[in-house]
Amino acid sequence: MSYSGILPDIDDPLTAPFWAAARDGRLVAQRCARCGTFRWTPAEICPECLSSETDWAPLSGRAVVWSYAVYRRAMHPAFKAAVPYTVAMLELPEGIRMLGMVRTSSGDADADGEVRIGDEVEAAFEAVTDEVTLVRWDPIGRASRETETNE
Amino acid sequence: MAGSQSVAIAGAGATAQGELPGRSANAIAVEAIELALADAGLAKADVDGLVTCRNLQSRVGIDEQIGELLGISPRFGATLDYGTGNFSLHLATMAIRAGLAETIVLAYGTNQRSAKTDFGIAVGGGAEMASVNGVVHVAGRAALAFRRHQHQYGTTEEQLGWVSVAQREWAGMNPLAIFRKPLTIEDYLASEPLVAPLRRADLTMISDGGAALVVTTAERARDLAKRPVHVAAMAQRTAFRADHDPESLNRPWLGELAKELWSTSGYRPDDIGALYIQDATSVWVLQMLEWYGFCPVGEGGRFLAEGRTRPGGSLPVNTNGGQLSEAYMWGWLHLVEAVRQLRGEAGERQVPGLEVALDVSSHDFLKGAASILTTRS
Repeated sequence: MSYSGILPDIDDPLTAPFWAAARDGRLVAQRCARCGTFRWTPAEICPECLSSETDWAPLSGRAVVWSYAVYRRAMHPAFKAAVPYTVAMLELPEGIRMLGMVRTSSGDADADGEVRIGDEVEAAFEAVTDEVTLVRWDPIGRASRETETNE
Repeated sequence: MAGSQSVAIAGAGATAQGELPGRSANAIAVEAIELALADAGLAKADVDGLVTCRNLQSRVGIDEQIGELLGISPRFGATLDYGTGNFSLHLATMAIRAGLAETIVLAYGTNQRSAKTDFGIAVGGGAEMASVNGVVHVAGRAALAFRRHQHQYGTTEEQLGWVSVAQREWAGMNPLAIFRKPLTIEDYLASEPLVAPLRRADLTMISDGGAALVVTTAERARDLAKRPVHVAAMAQRTAFRADHDPESLNRPWLGELAKELWSTSGYRPDDIGALYIQDATSVWVLQMLEWYGFCPVGEGGRFLAEGRTRPGGSLPVNTNGGQLSEAYMWGWLHLVEAVRQLRGEAGERQVPGLEVALDVSSHDFLKGAASILTTRS
């Protein structure tokens, strides 16, 4: 089945390097070439020092869940096929915050208990079309918790 | 406020709310203006300023369009790109103090329900980074903020539910309100979460309607039809930068805005007889009760569950029902209600002896405004 969710404009010059990296399985964000500050979401200018010189630098791919929410109902028609799904506000060690979708076995973290505030998650790459790979997040230690549940 | 001309609200108007098919947002705004002018005992020829509010996600509501439709060429005209009425009230007050106009009509109209406006997604640039991750509709961010509040302070869903339940009780006494069917805390808890931990009752409805205010000098307002409601204090704050701090979802900068309001106005939370909180979601009510100092940060849930904000409570909040129960007028009807309450025109839901009200609002996670309104001169 083809992906029905919202697709990014991968040709938008502001965000294209992010999507190109994601397609290669790499998580990157802009880092100011002058002052070294990471920023998210993508912007033309460093909000710290106002330099336009930017590198797309690799991120560790790890993040901590600041909070999460479970979409039980699609609040936009594009996500009808996706519910239930879990989203999170993530704190990255690079000093930025990101909104992301966290993959749990049922999609509903309240039901499966696979994500809690303070948990660590890691970036995963989901090719949803030939051109677009989206970044998702997987709970770290999900496997071990599944083992616990099975006992 | 020292050294500046005193400004008052002289008229308030609201159209029918709900579904108004076949009418443009601008035509609805003009009807609201007629109602507000009639309320003040003024004609459109008396107006020398027009302040409007652009509709979300469409280029209507511009002062040039509404002025043309209304058939006026006032000295001063301006449009804000965001709602809540509060920011527009501040702009009009400033314009009058600066001598750019003497009598300004402020208006907002929308046909967002009939026009099936899409409130779901952000498109393009950095903003689409939320949409592609499924974070659509303000419900997502509000749910994230509330879950964090639960984690930090032990706030429960039942405590949050009292926002919606209390506002529905108020709405039951408001003939203008769209949702008047009683909602109990049991009903609330029995309803399914849409974006857990939030339910339908925690989220603004989508409706058509219009609202308008007439603002003029306190001196002129004295001679008009209704008792003047003075703009006693104003404060604003922005929070444009949020790329580094997840806490921005709980909007701690509102606490800075509150500090500014209380310190510059000389008023204290205890002086406020009725509180109006622009409520895109119930979570905004919880946050603002805390940041404005009506209860300590973290204790908003307990404060709500004690029934403080309900009819008969110590701090009536959103006595119109708010956007959760009255109508989605982007905060504008909160100001209309504050004016009616301060004049003693609120009928069954009248807050006895009310003299000072506070209207607080926010534009998403980006800016906030507060106005203290009073009948004291």
